[in-house]
Amino acid sequence: MFKKITLTLAMLVCIATTAVAQKTIVFAVDATWPPMEFVNSDKQIVGYSIDYMTAAAKAAGFTPVFKNVAWDGIFAGLATGKYDAVCSSVSITEKRKKAMDFSTPYFKVRQALIVAKDSSVKSLADLKGKKVGGQIGTTGYFAIKAADGVEPKSYDEVGLAMEDLKVGRIAGVVCDDPVAANYAMEQYKDSLKIAATIETGEVEYYGIAMKKGNKETLELVNKGIEAVSKTSYVQELQQKWIGQ
Amino acid sequence: MGNKQVIIEVGDGAAIPSPRDKGLFTAWRISFFGTLAIIAYLLLFRPDPYLDIIKFLPDGIVVTFQVTIASISLAIVLGLIAGLGRISRNRLFNLAASTYIEIVRGIPLLVQLFYIYFALGHLIRVPDMLAAIIAMGFCYGAYMGEVFRAGIKSIDEGQTEASLSLGFNRSQTMRYVVLPQAWRTILPPVGNEFIALLKDTSLVSILAVSDILRRGREFASESFQYFETYTMVALIYLLITLILSKLLSILEDRLSHYEQR
Repeated sequence: MFKKITLTLAMLVCIATTAVAQKTIVFAVDATWPPMEFVNSDKQIVGYSIDYMTAAAKAAGFTPVFKNVAWDGIFAGLATGKYDAVCSSVSITEKRKKAMDFSTPYFKVRQALIVAKDSSVKSLADLKGKKVGGQIGTTGYFAIKAADGVEPKSYDEVGLAMEDLKVGRIAGVVCDDPVAANYAMEQYKDSLKIAATIETGEVEYYGIAMKKGNKETLELVNKGIEAVSKTSYVQELQQKWIGQ
Repeated sequence: MGNKQVIIEVGDGAAIPSPRDKGLFTAWRISFFGTLAIIAYLLLFRPDPYLDIIKFLPDGIVVTFQVTIASISLAIVLGLIAGLGRISRNRLFNLAASTYIEIVRGIPLLVQLFYIYFALGHLIRVPDMLAAIIAMGFCYGAYMGEVFRAGIKSIDEGQTEASLSLGFNRSQTMRYVVLPQAWRTILPPVGNEFIALLKDTSLVSILAVSDILRRGREFASESFQYFETYTMVALIYLLITLILSKLLSILEDRLSHYEQR
């Protein structure tokens, strides 16, 4: 009996010390962006970004906590301090940089246009006068808005846009290419296809977003990303989640 | 018994300002002029960002009204059928109407909107806005059905009996005697439902209909000015419903005046 109690106490002390020694960073994740971050059938938040950040946390010595937050308003929550950082495939843009700080880039994307399988559309320019959907507040949606003569339509989640595209309410969807590939080649492989990567679009990089001036978190995350990016784990993740 | 006036209480309507409130500071005036003053202040003294926000919203306001008017029209038609069905002696018609109302009332509006919107997509190809209107009209038709039923029930049984004894058949009685009178009782709660529906159209913004709320969210997601945007969105909704509720109370006053004669 006494042995048991001491053992339990010893364990508690161990847990407590590691908890004290390691800073916890709470990441907000909009887990509707497969394969980068999504909720699997066990209700766990999984994906490329999650694995990447977990590895980075191990390397830099902090405890990551992932919190599922709706995309619309994810930056508002960051500004009001509901969590420390946003790890949710956030493309680094000039506009966003004014409102928040970004870590070192950890992933490269382009915007891809998805259309119905039987469509002959080759680019956004072919969709003049038609409705094209994207997730609200994403770079994909901004690309649609920037395109000439296309009617932009914003959705809460990219999955809803895909569903509307499948049933023919809109003519196309624009989103990050790994997500586009996931939808067009797996979930909707019978009805949708990738028509093009947006030709005018520049290369974008994902970064971890942080409240402006949060140096401590920024340094820790950067340290982690740097450590992971040098290892072969990145290729492993690419293989595991994206498969190219 | 004869001239008993029946008031139909409907839970989720707009607060109706009482036209008999003679004071200078009524709840309606405080909210209405307060809202106007705040909007004017924000536009004049904080044009950045509020002027940009308000410039972004007008087409959303139009869409909100389009969806509201189209859905309420559909809801009134469905409601009338359902309401007549609920009091019908035809067992099949009665059962169908009751089942419709029972089902619709038992499912949250948001869930129904999602369900109808995406279910419709699998059956027939309808544009997004039409799908939202059908979903909204279908749900509100059930609520409206109960309003119609209560309104028709409020007409004294003696009227029907008198009409039948004068040689009208049941459908003639309904058409020429009961409905014209019931209409007066029904109109105020229908107006209430109209305002409630206008507010609930904000739910269709999740179905990617570009109403006021969706436009506001689009603005906020690009500018990161969430607080400012939602302040403006809330003020605009409030202004619209206040104007409508005033119109409704004037209308109701006219009707009750007619009643008293």
